[in-house]
Amino acid sequence: MTTQRRHGTTRGPRLRQLAAPAAVVLASTLALSACSSGGTAEGGGEPVSGGTLVYASGDAEPTCLDPHVGGNYPQALLASQFLETLFTKDDGGEIVPWLATGAEVSEDGLTVTLELREGIEFTDGAPFDAAAVKANIEHVKDPETLSSTGYLAMAKVDTMEALDEHTLQLNLSAPDSALLESLSQPWVAMMSPAGLERGMEGNCAAPIGTGPFVVDSWTKQQSVALSRNENYTVPNPEAAADPEHTGPAYLEGIEWRFIPESAARYSALQAGTVDMIDNAQPDTIVAAEDDDAIEHLDAPRPGASNRIELNASKAPFDDVRVREAFIRSVNVDAAVKSLFFGTAERSYSVLSSVEPMGYSDESLFAYDPEEASRLLDAAGWDERDAEGYRVKDGERLSVHLPVSTNQSVPAEQSLFQQLQATAKEAGFEVTLELQDLSSWYEALGAHEYDLVSAPYTKVGPDVLRILFHSDSTVPAPSGYFANHAMVQDEEIDAWLEQAASTQDEAERADLYEKAQRKILEGFYVLPLYDQQNHFLYSGSLEGVGATTAVATPTFHDAWLAE
Amino acid sequence: MTRWLLSRTAGGLLVLWAVATLIFLGIRLVPGDPAEAIMGGPGSQAPPEALEAARVEYGLDRPLPVQYAVMLGNLLRGNLGTSYSLRVPVADVVGEQLPGTLLLALLSWVLAWILALGLAVLTSLARGPRWRRVADRIGSGLEIVAAAVPHFWLGSVLVLVFATSLGWLPPVADDTAAGLVLPVLTLALPLAGFLGQIMRESLATALSSPFALAARARGESEAGVLLHHGLRHAALPGIGLSGWALGSLISGAVVVESLFARPGLGRTLLNAVTARDVPLVTGVVLVSALTYVVVMALADLAERLADPRISA
Repeated sequence: MTTQRRHGTTRGPRLRQLAAPAAVVLASTLALSACSSGGTAEGGGEPVSGGTLVYASGDAEPTCLDPHVGGNYPQALLASQFLETLFTKDDGGEIVPWLATGAEVSEDGLTVTLELREGIEFTDGAPFDAAAVKANIEHVKDPETLSSTGYLAMAKVDTMEALDEHTLQLNLSAPDSALLESLSQPWVAMMSPAGLERGMEGNCAAPIGTGPFVVDSWTKQQSVALSRNENYTVPNPEAAADPEHTGPAYLEGIEWRFIPESAARYSALQAGTVDMIDNAQPDTIVAAEDDDAIEHLDAPRPGASNRIELNASKAPFDDVRVREAFIRSVNVDAAVKSLFFGTAERSYSVLSSVEPMGYSDESLFAYDPEEASRLLDAAGWDERDAEGYRVKDGERLSVHLPVSTNQSVPAEQSLFQQLQATAKEAGFEVTLELQDLSSWYEALGAHEYDLVSAPYTKVGPDVLRILFHSDSTVPAPSGYFANHAMVQDEEIDAWLEQAASTQDEAERADLYEKAQRKILEGFYVLPLYDQQNHFLYSGSLEGVGATTAVATPTFHDAWLAE
Repeated sequence: MTRWLLSRTAGGLLVLWAVATLIFLGIRLVPGDPAEAIMGGPGSQAPPEALEAARVEYGLDRPLPVQYAVMLGNLLRGNLGTSYSLRVPVADVVGEQLPGTLLLALLSWVLAWILALGLAVLTSLARGPRWRRVADRIGSGLEIVAAAVPHFWLGSVLVLVFATSLGWLPPVADDTAAGLVLPVLTLALPLAGFLGQIMRESLATALSSPFALAARARGESEAGVLLHHGLRHAALPGIGLSGWALGSLISGAVVVESLFARPGLGRTLLNAVTARDVPLVTGVVLVSALTYVVVMALADLAERLADPRISA
């Protein structure tokens, strides 16, 4: 098996990358690690047209194919095949135009003028123009669309005005340095206005976009059938994986199947029933290493890393010494190594390794039981009860960790158990509780947690504002708040606000670094690893590797070898 | 017969009403806001305006008794409502998914009967008390193992053996007949184990009973005794257990349909529960309950036909 992995921290993600023929590009952008047999050679010759790719997704089947509605990762995975965004990320992690040609921001940051590409058509024949983009952003912002991810991303867009056919002016309520990053997410992808006008039911069933594939039909609980968009042209070849391949996709179509069971997905891949699977778990990835006919794509998601947050708003973690003691008392490295079999790399950052502005500090997270013990003594937890747990004023040092079985894969659940065991040696009692998604959110809303792990995907470092600004400690009407660590720090707030409004990239990077350093040094979070996003695919499937800004694979360059 | 039909219908309606009420109350006892479910699941970060719009659209802003009355009224008119998560009428979803699950359940049920009866008959053919005991032990051992294995484990092992290793059958269900083999086997084997246990015992009792002895004395062949007297008796408890068997098949279908990625009512139910999709859960459970009521009535009828001792 050959593994492709992106090295985001050093070079930034290569997000629409060349996958097949050019070995030079491959060597510079992908780390090819041959697992068992020296790896099968990439690039199986000249691309062949035709054939249907059978893709098996382990994610929940979307209830609506329009990613404006709601807005989750399964929707993004599927929509990336038939919808496109105004902007995308290039191999350096830079935001580059895709359906747009550029954007100009006014001095005060309150006016953004989008220049749109000419000559692009939606698959219903409607032109892609300023009116269409306006209709899309209005659709996202309309409460009746029931958008959540896209709605948050477009929150600062106040009014819009088409200056001419291909120029759209956005008037913002406040400067938003993350706007173009937001527009690179499939949750604000562009759809035909005529398609939107069909209403939610029609648009959910078959959104009309500009992408390389078109939705043909959707058999609920089974599959979505996509066919090639015969009129497709790559909007911006310079940012594309294969700049030479600008016409329609090689594949005739994609059969997008839903196979919820991890083991069933893998047996289907082995049997050749399907060509590619997602949500590959560590045990499966390791099993596939011995199989020369199966390849591996590792595409960490952007936004936050997977991390444990420590609730600093209540005892015992309202004391920074106790927070540090917990972090020093758990042996994360050993647990990750033994449970993920080397498929997950340890992170020391609150941001994903594909975020160029991520700041990492390994020294803060070394396993050090002696230091933990010293800190706990200093914090007044200097006695132990009969079971060996630390005690202060007759109360046991007990912390609660509710675990969502939806969000945490089995390997992660086992990881938490191992952390529980090492924390016990230092005198922490960690109570683990496995919960379904609703109960888990309920527990978070009611503040019934001291520790929690909650993933968050968003393009760009602005995710820090969502996760660590004190505004995010205030629950939305739904009871949800994203700042689980309950970081309430005026300095951090100010830095994050400034970073979100500055137009100066260097200043922005500096502000985000300051904020991240203070968050890490405050021991509010224990970073674990990137949000895992592993794909396995058949060796006869070539040209795989290109992804969107949110690390969902695209299949414009993919082809099936004989 | 008319009275039987009337009492059956009334009983059935009572069961359906009780089921609908229990689901209505039960699903509101679990934590989580239904509006969140409509907005794409809990913690959807939906803005308040959107949540409010969803509440109004689905009538969740009205008091509980009103919601309950509206639901009952709709059900009486045969209106199952609209699914929160799929945004299509529940009747359409159920109509689409029911045939697949019924086919799976029916084939599994038939196969389970064939296997159970076959094993019972095979062991009854053993001659002499010693061989009979050995055959009994083997038969009963096989049945206990079959009845005890969980669907999930059995399905995984069957995939490993017949799909991954031997490559004879597809590991996930497709539209071909071959794709049905593993799901049907997974559902049928444990049920056959249960049915076999019961049937073999009653077959043995029947074959050693005075009327079988009398038949043999009249000169009827062993096969004749088996066919005319034994099987009828062996089948009776099996028929009586049909309702239970259906329940086991439907709960098994939840696992099997997920395991083999086969569309159907079981998988719909699982997704609906996870998504807190109240109308869809209600619809699927009501249809299952209705099927159960009908099967129970049919089983009752079959029992009457097979056993003349039960008067009409």
